[in-house]
Amino acid sequence: MKYHITLLIELKDGILDPQGRAVEGVLQGLQYPVENVRVGRVLEMELEAPSEAEARATAHNIGKALSNPVMEVFVVEAVKELA
Amino acid sequence: MKVAVIQFPGSNCDQDALWALRLVGLEAELVWHTERSLEGFQAALLPGGFSYGDYLRAGALAKFSPVMQEVRRLAQRGYPVVGICNGFQVLTEAGLLPGALLANTNLHFTCKEVFLRVERTDLPFTRAYTPGQVLRIPIAHGEGRYYADAETLERLEQNHQVVFRYTSPQEAPSKEGYNPNGSLNDIAGIVNPAGNVLGLMPHPERAVESVLGSADGLPFFRSLKQALEVVV
Repeated sequence: MKYHITLLIELKDGILDPQGRAVEGVLQGLQYPVENVRVGRVLEMELEAPSEAEARATAHNIGKALSNPVMEVFVVEAVKELA
Repeated sequence: MKVAVIQFPGSNCDQDALWALRLVGLEAELVWHTERSLEGFQAALLPGGFSYGDYLRAGALAKFSPVMQEVRRLAQRGYPVVGICNGFQVLTEAGLLPGALLANTNLHFTCKEVFLRVERTDLPFTRAYTPGQVLRIPIAHGEGRYYADAETLERLEQNHQVVFRYTSPQEAPSKEGYNPNGSLNDIAGIVNPAGNVLGLMPHPERAVESVLGSADGLPFFRSLKQALEVVV
């Protein structure tokens, strides 16, 4: 089966995110009432796996390989079976 | 005694590193990152640049290059391994050095001369310096803010693993304002507990001849030469 995977990689809480701050400043300048803006990454991929559970497990391993545990956390956001 | 200068796709300080190593009389060769053997090399230098275009994170993809297994092996066997700028980022991503290099606090890519205090002179990279010596060496990076959790940072300090720290020029009236990127504890370079794997953000290879504005990086390479002459 083929699965579509969405993987989120975000900076850990408490890690200064200057990119998020810059975006926050711009949004506030546009009069949006926002605070604590953080910038992360979304990775999408298609993955061949025998079952959804195995697709999720592989996605987890990929998240582990691609994120840096010193300052990031990752979430397997979605696993969708492709028709 | 031969030094491998590892070339990743996107390395751009490889030739400068080669030049600096040869300038002090070391034998050095470029090694492409897909090589699976570093047989015959007694040291490795990971140069600056933008390996894999800094995609994902600086150094994050280079750590998977085949040659990195061999770099790891050299490191484990106690041979000198040094990562400069992007090379430092690769070493932290690969787990050969603790911590990480994050985006500079001011979000600027900063390219200028900085002042560094040499904290240790007992290493294969620093023995030609004097303790506390202040060097003038250029930096050129967007992600150089050294970060590690509080526990790691304390361990680094206790083990004297901080080798270079951003500082002020000696004549400066104030000591404030000389950390160019927001690095914790003003850290510019660290070494592993064994003292053979070093990473630093500043570029000693860009400061090896007075015509370049400073020759303060030359003793870095002289130290390595001295150290390698002892290794058999």
